[in-house]
Amino acid sequence: MTFDEKRALALLRIATQSPSATFRDGQEAAIRHVVEGRGRLLVVQKTGWGKSFVYFIATLLLREQGAGPTLLVSPLLALMRNQIAAAERMGVRAETINSDNSEEWERIEAAIERDEIDILLISPERLANARFESQVLSSIADRLALLVVDEAHCISDWGHDFRPHYRLLERIIRGLPSNMRLLATTATANDRVMADLSNVLGPGLTVMRGELQRDSLTLQTLRLPSQAERLAWIADRLGTLQGHGIIYALTVRDANLVAAWLKLRGFAVEAYTGKSGDDREALEEALLRNEVKALVATTALGMGYDKPDLAFVIHYQTPGSVVAYYQQVGRAGRALESAYGVLLSGEEESDITGWFITSAFPTRVEAAHVLEALDGAPDGLSARAIMGAVNLSFGRIERTLSLLSLESPAPIIKDGSVWVRTAVGISESFWARAERLTQLRRDEQEEMQRYVRLPFGDHMAYLIGALDGDATAISAPRLAPLPAETSEATVQAAVSFLRRSHLPIEPRLKWPTGGLPSLKVKGNIARTAAPGRALCVWGDAGWGTAVRLGKYHDGRFSDAIVAALAQMFREWSPTPAPTWVTCVPSVRHPTLVPDLAGRVAAELGLPYIATLTCVDARPEQKTMANSTQQARNVDGSLALSGVTVPSGPVLLVDDVVDSRWTLTVSAWLLRGAGCVAVYPLVLADGGNGS
Amino acid sequence: MIDPLSPDTQAILLLTAPLSAGSGGSREILTPGEYKKLARHLHSIAERPATLLGPGAEALVESCRTVIEADRLRRLLGRGLRLSQALERWRARAIWVMSRADAAYPRRLRERLRDDAPPVLYGCGDQARLAEGGLAVVGSRNADSELIEFTQRIGALAAAARVNIVSGGARGIDSAAMSGALEMGGCAVGVLADGLEKAAIAREYREVLPDRLTLVSPYDPSAGFNVGHAMQRNKLIYALADRALVVSADVNKGGTWAGAVEQLERWRMVPVHVRTTGAESAGLQALRARGALEWPTVDSAEALRYASAPSVVGRVSENGVSATGSVDEDTERGRLLAMTVEPKSEREIIAGTGLTQQRVRALLAILVELGKLERRTRPVRYVARTQTVLLV
Repeated sequence: MTFDEKRALALLRIATQSPSATFRDGQEAAIRHVVEGRGRLLVVQKTGWGKSFVYFIATLLLREQGAGPTLLVSPLLALMRNQIAAAERMGVRAETINSDNSEEWERIEAAIERDEIDILLISPERLANARFESQVLSSIADRLALLVVDEAHCISDWGHDFRPHYRLLERIIRGLPSNMRLLATTATANDRVMADLSNVLGPGLTVMRGELQRDSLTLQTLRLPSQAERLAWIADRLGTLQGHGIIYALTVRDANLVAAWLKLRGFAVEAYTGKSGDDREALEEALLRNEVKALVATTALGMGYDKPDLAFVIHYQTPGSVVAYYQQVGRAGRALESAYGVLLSGEEESDITGWFITSAFPTRVEAAHVLEALDGAPDGLSARAIMGAVNLSFGRIERTLSLLSLESPAPIIKDGSVWVRTAVGISESFWARAERLTQLRRDEQEEMQRYVRLPFGDHMAYLIGALDGDATAISAPRLAPLPAETSEATVQAAVSFLRRSHLPIEPRLKWPTGGLPSLKVKGNIARTAAPGRALCVWGDAGWGTAVRLGKYHDGRFSDAIVAALAQMFREWSPTPAPTWVTCVPSVRHPTLVPDLAGRVAAELGLPYIATLTCVDARPEQKTMANSTQQARNVDGSLALSGVTVPSGPVLLVDDVVDSRWTLTVSAWLLRGAGCVAVYPLVLADGGNGS
Repeated sequence: MIDPLSPDTQAILLLTAPLSAGSGGSREILTPGEYKKLARHLHSIAERPATLLGPGAEALVESCRTVIEADRLRRLLGRGLRLSQALERWRARAIWVMSRADAAYPRRLRERLRDDAPPVLYGCGDQARLAEGGLAVVGSRNADSELIEFTQRIGALAAAARVNIVSGGARGIDSAAMSGALEMGGCAVGVLADGLEKAAIAREYREVLPDRLTLVSPYDPSAGFNVGHAMQRNKLIYALADRALVVSADVNKGGTWAGAVEQLERWRMVPVHVRTTGAESAGLQALRARGALEWPTVDSAEALRYASAPSVVGRVSENGVSATGSVDEDTERGRLLAMTVEPKSEREIIAGTGLTQQRVRALLAILVELGKLERRTRPVRYVARTQTVLLV
């Protein structure tokens, strides 16, 4: 196909809505390369360079010459809305198919069938989806003109951001004949990642590579171990910072926490996480239009989000690798003279990034259990059904299934809705790769900890060096460092804020698959608990530590905890109001919870009545890894003690809630004895509830 | 095992394979006859299928116009993503694929079937087993228990004699022969006409794939049963074996009959035997009348090894068969190779051998394909290679 320079430039000007726009360095060459079919191309350019113009304009030029559509694979499609809008101005008919827009699938599938889509954007996970394969891929697989692999570094085992489904993409790329146009793009690729990409994309791969550093960025690091100090620092500084920015946190919980805190302090901020769902688009827009001071985001707001005048990026915790960090901080200052990138480092971050590292792969034992379960089921098992057979959390089971099914040849494959064992075992290379990746990620974690300790002025050179870029031409920071101090009053306010983060406990509505044999129940739960409250998350920065000390060290919960529970109850004040207090019994700690319940009852001026008893000692719930196992563990272990159960609403006290099955069964028993409502009131949410 | 697919194989798959992951597939793919024509055209202009994927593709597609319509070729070659999807699906099931262009392609098929050898083979299990030969055991799907037992015993003896069983993988006699061998620790090759994808992950094969069982099929792994396919694959069963034993057959009907007759009268690649013990069979007697040999009474591993040994290469043996091809042709080939020690033009070869131009072209194509002849260009000359190298 031929490359029409004038047409390409005209398209760029339409897309940018600027009649004088010209191509940036390398853009035109890349488009020409793709359109003329000169072989596979890898474009390495920092975010904001305009990679999307390359594939959108190339797609349109190809389509105008009668070629088939383009397929773009990107890990974070949700963030491409801005680019899609620009593409649509040029007349590119772009659609995305993802898990969030299932109501549109049929319309899009029909449009693809009629060849009315120019570019289809999907996440790599789609490629493993049976419906997508049969409804979409099969209709474009015969005429696809161009495959675009966005964020191509995700292919590399050596990438910070290696994604299991990119292994599938990698094999698809390897299977493509050389006459298929392929464009891979990434913003960050160190030498190792580049070597991997050359291996997957080559031979005959052309690489076009730009500069890495962003001179407008002033980088700074601050070690502030406690969450309260960091919350206080952000609250003290946010008002003094010019412009608008992003505050990154490592977990959804922390993003929500920081956003809630800053809102309380009067800032216009919003949380943006993978759980923001349909609000994501509005949130992105709000930041683009400077309607919020900042978004407090997880990595869900990452690759692909383009706000040229983003004035600051603050990290509430240290990310796990230089590449991840540079991708996030590199969003700031694209079209500004200067911008801040401040990294706060806290005591919990290594636990969090360490958890991501160790949970990335199943253990040999986990994998063996899952395979064993499938071996015994010739017709296959659903992931849910495996929960009944294996004591692993649903998340671990899903992760194990997903990773093993992406092996090639695969020890298991998905056949319709069930997983089926194949004739092959898990190869040693799987474990070798798991080990190598785990070690690599630990090294990357350590590399970031060294970054934290750097003196002001050294940061950019360190990052560029770590990314195998040219660190010699780096200029000094343009802005002065921000003060490290926080005001004592703000820290105090942050401490009390952390201690006030009460969590709702939603009642379970259904018995587990297969029901509970001892109680002879299944299906919907006829006598559910009422919604309850937890004081804190197990081990968190508020009450978490005090709760842990009470349970495992002192053997008694402190008066401060009792007071906090009573305070939480008063703020909550459910109706109809409870008229008495009872508690969940325990064989292992026979007095701990009754003592707590009695003291809370006294504090609230209500009678405490022990109504439940243990009839069978079972292993602790926390050793049961999934909901089905936990439900069966509770089944038949609790009973009414025989004491008359008052009919008024009751507060049901427990120390740590995990699966909620103990609370569910307790409430079912109490309500069976005539109690009208059961409100769970617990100290800590163990975090395994889902 | 599937990586890396050679560009020739990629091109052949794009042109000839349905690549249907369960559904649809292209109606446009080249039929075996069309591909045969295209392959001959490519040979005639000293080109390979891989060129259709490279920078010179456009010119080559145009030059193939006389054989296959250019737009159709372009559409077929544009199925790159479908190819890749299909590979992924097969790979997940440990299914490999190879084409006639691959060195690993079984020589027995290449040499015995020449351009009737399937362009593409799919399979599961050790490819090397396809070169080992063995005893083909064929018979009907519906067989009584006496015949099943007889056949299983043959399989078991073959296992003890370390002779591979080659069979069609169908129920009845085929399965009995294979299970007889596999259960006794022997090896087998199953030449399937359908359902490789299912067989590759079947429970019954988990113990023996890939170490002792190799499944192979010329048809798309997701293909369902098709009488024509079942007939067409018969010749592969014979071609992959050293000798064949027909356990049961109806007269003038059914796949076993057709396959055996085709072997006796057209292909003559291996000696064909029929069962002589047990119940009388009109079908087997009719095969005897057409030249099938008697299967001796075999009651030990030693006897089976002897009975199933290949006929001696080059010797016109038993029912008129040489190990590598028909007599006439070997002689023709020999003459052609003998006179091309020095490079010769096509015209010189025609004059020197006294064969027709058409025949010489066919032989040249085959010998080039087999790597026995080198085709030089500018000017076009043929010269015998001293060593045999397998090429397209």
